[in-house]
Amino acid sequence: MKRVFHLFFIERRNTMGQKIICIAVGWLIVGLVLFGAMGPADAQPNFAKVKEYRIERSIPPEAVACIECHKATNPGLFDDWARSRHANANITCLDCHLAQPGDTDVAKGHEKYYSRKDLPYGEPKYKVPIAAIVTPKDCSRCHPDEVIQYSKSKHANTIEIIWKLDPWLNKGMNSDNERKTGCFNCHGTVIGIDENGAVDPATWPNVGVGRLNIDGSKGSCTSCHTRHRFSVAEARMPEACDQCHLGPDHPQIEIYNESKHGTMYHAYKDEYNFNAAPGTWTPGTDYRAPTCAACHMSGSGKVMGTHDVTERLSWETQAPLTVRPQDFKPFPSGTDWTVEREKMKNVCRACHGDSWINDFYNGFDKTVEDYNEVYFKPAKAKFDKLYEKGLLDKTRFFDERLEVEFYELWHHEGRRARMGVMMMAPDYAWWHGFYECKLRFANFMEAANHLIETGQKAYVAKDFPNATGDTQKPPKIFDKK
Amino acid sequence: MKKYFIGASLVLFGFLIAFPLFSMTYYTMVRTSTPDFCALCHEIKPAVIAWRASTHVNNPQGFVADCMDCHLPAPHKTFDFFFAKTYHGAKDVVKHFLIEEYDRKKNRDAAYDAFDNAQCQKCHRNLLTMPDKRGAMLAHRSVIYARPGYEKKCVDCHYDLVHNESVSIMYKQYRRLPYQAKGLRKL
Repeated sequence: MKRVFHLFFIERRNTMGQKIICIAVGWLIVGLVLFGAMGPADAQPNFAKVKEYRIERSIPPEAVACIECHKATNPGLFDDWARSRHANANITCLDCHLAQPGDTDVAKGHEKYYSRKDLPYGEPKYKVPIAAIVTPKDCSRCHPDEVIQYSKSKHANTIEIIWKLDPWLNKGMNSDNERKTGCFNCHGTVIGIDENGAVDPATWPNVGVGRLNIDGSKGSCTSCHTRHRFSVAEARMPEACDQCHLGPDHPQIEIYNESKHGTMYHAYKDEYNFNAAPGTWTPGTDYRAPTCAACHMSGSGKVMGTHDVTERLSWETQAPLTVRPQDFKPFPSGTDWTVEREKMKNVCRACHGDSWINDFYNGFDKTVEDYNEVYFKPAKAKFDKLYEKGLLDKTRFFDERLEVEFYELWHHEGRRARMGVMMMAPDYAWWHGFYECKLRFANFMEAANHLIETGQKAYVAKDFPNATGDTQKPPKIFDKK
Repeated sequence: MKKYFIGASLVLFGFLIAFPLFSMTYYTMVRTSTPDFCALCHEIKPAVIAWRASTHVNNPQGFVADCMDCHLPAPHKTFDFFFAKTYHGAKDVVKHFLIEEYDRKKNRDAAYDAFDNAQCQKCHRNLLTMPDKRGAMLAHRSVIYARPGYEKKCVDCHYDLVHNESVSIMYKQYRRLPYQAKGLRKL
């Protein structure tokens, strides 16, 4: 079309020089149009730039096959690994994912890829048994001390703890899917094998911190050191913790953000040296104000680092009645709180004098005493009395309003008050904490007294939705005991 | 002169008694130190059969680690070695007549508890320089230079190595994939 237009245009002007230029321009335009039409045939790859990885070091051919194939099929996953310290140290896919033939968790679907001619290295000679799930036991092959510490923590044992305490699970008050997408996402699943011998899709994928694995080990290191980067820097940031530690029932990240520590972290995090080698991350040098990991896990001064987050605690502020960690019935810590408090005080001493530290702990201890004596114990006594008199029905939980009220008193605002004081966030200590506790307590007592005075039974919700969850405690955990 | 004669006779007499005694003891030690001797007991026979199929027998170095190499204190701890060997030998004979059934799992765990790193390290000594196994280098450091309170045994991670029921003989040189420790046993 354009060419015809140009020829017509040329004839009218009838000048030789102009004619040549116009023909040239016409061809150029035709060329550009044709070239442009060819463009879409070269489809863009999913990733504009694929991370290069030339295999220049000794790697078993089977591992080369993993790398080359996954580089093509999951470039993001490969890219993560290629930037990791594992890749730096020549630790390949096989070092963590290799299974023994006959292991129950071998990925059965994976074998077919070794006969896919369209994939790089899709040849049977590279076939090896692979397990998709990598567990702390696998990690312990190279990092045994970290796993020993972690396996003692409340993190690794959280499924046992919630099944000992939680009415949602024990009374079946939520559905299996609400648990899978909610509770178990953080707490972890009990990995099972389905009737076809494959890993049960109801239990996997899952990277919950207390996942019970097929090999018997507990937890998942990738909860905090996400796959496939496995970064120490990432786990030192509060963002690693806030994927679970947030919300109305344990707003640790909101509390931290409000605190002076969090404020300084946000202001100065660009200057933090998150990549310091393990054991060398130093307060005042590598970071200005602490992150979650800095106080609860990292080494500081003479205090040794630990992967047991329960270690430096002197109160269980998440429990209904605040107790010392060694007296926490569902999972006694086996520590001595006086020793642990001294450890935490030593962490504080990197930046604070004793007057600050002691003032803080005095306030915290007083808060715990107030919560226990003034709020929790009287409410609990009243709550027990309602059951005793048959005014509340014990068959289910949450289907009567006072059960919800009592639950929220300790599980929501009671925790916010204690944790708010514990990590120095005044708004959580008061407005989201004790202020709410006061209102909840007064309303709860008023309604409870009314029932007791009138002898009237509480209304039981007939339409409690989706209370269909399994109430059997996981046998893999509880039958052993 | 007579005095010296008596002295010399006593020394000679001592030799005549001590040498056969010593030789016999030594010979007994040698005779009772072979896997074949251990396999005389039916309780132990399966363990010896499994051991013959393991890489502790079949490897390109032609090296064979016998029962005693792993299961008794290192011979340089001479007293411990002789004492432990005699004690176990005597105990096993008594137990053979006393117990009804040999609990394989219980005894396996007891064996793991009894292992001392020195027993493995008689042979496995170069544990810190393995350029193709960085993970092992890292883990071995945490055993050889253990942080106080984190002392570990070799068998905490390396287990089910030898006494596995297997239909075929394992040859170390024909292992297609690199050997990996299995991770902490008691997790």
